[in-house]
Amino acid sequence: MITTSNLTKIFRDKKRGEVRAVDQVNIKCRLGRVFGLLGLNGAGKTTLMRLLSTTLKPTSGTAKVAGYDIIQKPEKVKEKIGFLSNDTGLYNRLTAEETVTYFGRLNNIEESELKGRVEEIFGTFDMDEFRQTRIDKLSTGMKQKVSIARTFVNNPEVLILDEPTLGLDVVTSRSIIQFIKESKKLNKCVLFSTHIMWEAEKLCDDIAIIHKGKILEVGSLNELQAKTGLKELDDIFVEIIGDNRGE
Amino acid sequence: MNLGKVKTIYLKEMLDTLRDRRTLISMILIPIILFPVLMFGMSAVVVMMIKKTEAEVTRIVIIGKEFAPDDFENKIREQDSTEAIIYYDAAELKSEFTSEKLEDRLEDYQDSVVAARLRERQIDQSLLHPIKVSKRNLAPKEKMGGFMLARFLPYIIVILAMSGAMYPAIDLTAGEKERGTLETILVTPVSRLDIATGKFLTVLTASVITIILSTTSMSLTASFGFAKIGQFASEQQIQFSIKPLSILLLLALMFPIACLFSSALLSVALFAKSYKEAQSYITPLMFVVILPAMISFLPGFELDWRLVFIPIVNISIAAKEVLLGTYKWGFILLIFISTFIYAGFSIFVTKRLFEKEEVLFRT
Repeated sequence: MITTSNLTKIFRDKKRGEVRAVDQVNIKCRLGRVFGLLGLNGAGKTTLMRLLSTTLKPTSGTAKVAGYDIIQKPEKVKEKIGFLSNDTGLYNRLTAEETVTYFGRLNNIEESELKGRVEEIFGTFDMDEFRQTRIDKLSTGMKQKVSIARTFVNNPEVLILDEPTLGLDVVTSRSIIQFIKESKKLNKCVLFSTHIMWEAEKLCDDIAIIHKGKILEVGSLNELQAKTGLKELDDIFVEIIGDNRGE
Repeated sequence: MNLGKVKTIYLKEMLDTLRDRRTLISMILIPIILFPVLMFGMSAVVVMMIKKTEAEVTRIVIIGKEFAPDDFENKIREQDSTEAIIYYDAAELKSEFTSEKLEDRLEDYQDSVVAARLRERQIDQSLLHPIKVSKRNLAPKEKMGGFMLARFLPYIIVILAMSGAMYPAIDLTAGEKERGTLETILVTPVSRLDIATGKFLTVLTASVITIILSTTSMSLTASFGFAKIGQFASEQQIQFSIKPLSILLLLALMFPIACLFSSALLSVALFAKSYKEAQSYITPLMFVVILPAMISFLPGFELDWRLVFIPIVNISIAAKEVLLGTYKWGFILLIFISTFIYAGFSIFVTKRLFEKEEVLFRT
């Protein structure tokens, strides 16, 4: 579960002055559902997700992730989440197995359980053939699998995925989409950001449209269609954003 | 601080670092081969040049042939004095050698002329030299060996201590930002302090390995090298025998400076966005280290109450004195304490930077 209350992040920038990257955000993502965050580049998606994963501290407001407050218990939050983004790279000089084992250790998995957990992960994601291969020798698709395995090593309750398909080829993107569907079946709470409309249409139970740090609309696809009288998500998106362009 | 996590991070960073070719070169290869190459390479070149020049047939041109040798010899025979001018090119090694040879011959000849004239007048030669001056070198052999080493060794080791730490420091910070692995580690339930500590210990290890390897390589090279140079040092047989205590003390003195370098390099490199940016910040930092380290080259500097508190300068002078067998324990202790205080401050800055999101997510 993710619940935010008036979550706000202000950056001070020399050129632009005060930037409200995330502005009074209130959203609720439930277990067993996929929550899509839709926005243009620079809308505040990444900042919001970094706040929820506790790598950034909010300027005001707070949030609860998997039952823990992001300000009070950041370490607990991190134990419960799996975070994947374009910026979460892998160590090129480690093998796939070393990578998963390393992140297992960092995620407080007991040494006695670690081996079993790593076995399980390699089986689940069908990665045994490149287990001992160094990351820099892997194809993009294989790397992405290792990244997903890394995200999953602590069996997270909440998944925070920041544009996970950005820059990937069709086959690799599909594996990510599949992974999101599986996670939903496993009753995980998935927060997923994208600016690819069909992905959101296909996957999300709830959709939030974020623009200039503010959440403009939240609802299921049906609710958004009803509200705007439009059918396609990209039309709906442009309609909602368009109303607020002048701000 | 969670020591288990620090250990996990440290072990992984070491594994990662030992698989990085750039780091291996600066941490292991350079310190091992630098001294033998410098010593044998340079002495071989010098020996070769001297041999070649000495072996060469020299050609002398006599100007004013009509006066010599008749006029020259006549003047000498008539107990008169005459003049010989040697024209040479001081910028040419060959010409200089020849002029020295010629001068030696002329002086030998002059001595024989003087001796003959004195004999003729029945005057004892010792009249010309009322005082016989002779010099005896009292420096023990280890001091002679140390003297050569002590001047350039502290300087080179200080620089290697820094260059050995440089690549890992960049790789573990700016390099991670560039490859996007920093954020991957920041979303794990590990405190920033544990991450910073694990990384600091890795960089420190690299620096310490560089120091140990270079000191060992230098000691071995020098003990072989001096034996070789000794063949040409005709007057004073130089022997290499630096006391083991000096070597140990040198290593110990380098430890706090390795701590200081490791944390300073980490801080600077963490601030940078990319590998390249980090390198361009660190290059000027290198000069900040090289200049004070060079003090060991300069004669006349001894540890005193002011110098003992200047970082790098103090270590450089202390290392030189220690290699010469002078142990000023009070000052050495003060250097330890002051350098550890500077290192502690620098580590604190590193820790603070690791907690700053503006630094970690600088775009």
